[in-house]
Amino acid sequence: MSRQRHEEELLGPYVLGVLDEADVRRVEEHVGDCVQCREEVAALREMERALGEVPAEAFLDGPPQGGDLLLRRTLRQVRSERAALARRRYGLAGLAAAAALAAVFWAGTQLGTGGSGNVAQAPPPSPAVSPAPSAVPGTRVASATDRGTGSRMTVQVVPAAAWVRVHAAVTGVPPGERCRLVVVSRDGTRSTAGGWVVGTAENGEGKGASLDGSAAVAAADVKEVLVENEAGKTFVSVPVRA
Amino acid sequence: MAGPLWPRTRRGSTDEALITSVYEEHGHALLAYATRLTGDRAAAEDVVQETLLRAWRHSEALVNGKGSVRGWLLTVARNIITDRYRAKAARPPEVSGAAAAPPVEVDHADSVVDTMTVLGALDRLTPEHRDVLTELYYRECSVAEAADRLGIPAGTVKSRAHYALKALREVFADGAREGNRSKRSGRPPQQPGGLREVVA
Repeated sequence: MSRQRHEEELLGPYVLGVLDEADVRRVEEHVGDCVQCREEVAALREMERALGEVPAEAFLDGPPQGGDLLLRRTLRQVRSERAALARRRYGLAGLAAAAALAAVFWAGTQLGTGGSGNVAQAPPPSPAVSPAPSAVPGTRVASATDRGTGSRMTVQVVPAAAWVRVHAAVTGVPPGERCRLVVVSRDGTRSTAGGWVVGTAENGEGKGASLDGSAAVAAADVKEVLVENEAGKTFVSVPVRA
Repeated sequence: MAGPLWPRTRRGSTDEALITSVYEEHGHALLAYATRLTGDRAAAEDVVQETLLRAWRHSEALVNGKGSVRGWLLTVARNIITDRYRAKAARPPEVSGAAAAPPVEVDHADSVVDTMTVLGALDRLTPEHRDVLTELYYRECSVAEAADRLGIPAGTVKSRAHYALKALREVFADGAREGNRSKRSGRPPQQPGGLREVVA
């Protein structure tokens, strides 16, 4: 019985290919006449294949080494794309104004002036097939893992008129915890954006949660978003940059 | 006119904060990955730049699903590289064109979604389970090396690796049930359509 159990625990490392020859032989002998373990190996192999979909580089953290030239270049491009977008918008506004003028005054001279103004403001033809940004301007995304609790949160803060929508994905909180999603503003005010009770996954650990909430805090004033239980224990806190 | 200038400036600074935070958290992974696929640091930097721009344009897609943010970014980077490679291949061959090996597999339609899903699933494992798989699978450590790096006995490395794979299967099965998108349990669930659209 204990031998059987021991064999079973070798199946995972077996499909990962990390066992030594003696262990490999033992597993293969056992799997040869145990249907249950054969099925287990097939299922675990599928997981091993799934791991192959993730490149090893996915486990590197932080910014690239060797300076932030790349970042600055990217920010420059964002600025110029935004400027082009603004130009396009003003161009359209000009067109509408011209149409209105034409309708009201019916005057050829007015039309001509408006028309040439639009030509001058038209955006340069761009080969880029960039879709219009569908995100709300000023949306911020941040994530963090708490080393102490092992909890993890990725949060998106979307500005509304003078408040924010908050979308959070939280994992690694123990099952049964009654949690609150709290938005902390720069002056230290805390607003609860939502709450939930952590469910139990089949392996006995806490289920991840995906939440939508909101808080009466202006987007520019959001300092951090955190998850705590009702006793005030903080599981993970994500700083949000202005 | 000072009026309209002010909100635009403010909006600009938050856009830049978004890109900066994505860069600071994921830049190393992105650039290393793109460098391996393209075999060229300058080309890789262009790919990372384009990836960051797409993240900025589609920031709502970054946290809308079960997949991970990093998985989304890596997938976008890979698709940019694949598309550029395809564009090159579609042109008539140049006389002096180097017959370089294809930098990436061309048909990635199915695997596109899985990098995100698998990385998202790994995120949901306990740190112990995630670490043992990272050491054994992605760092290609032996059991003895992993035991040394993790500070646990070799026997524990083996059994933990076993339960980590089983836990991963549970996460997938869970996701498949929740999303009700996959009929066969144990298969990685598909991403929502919107995400696929942005990534593809």
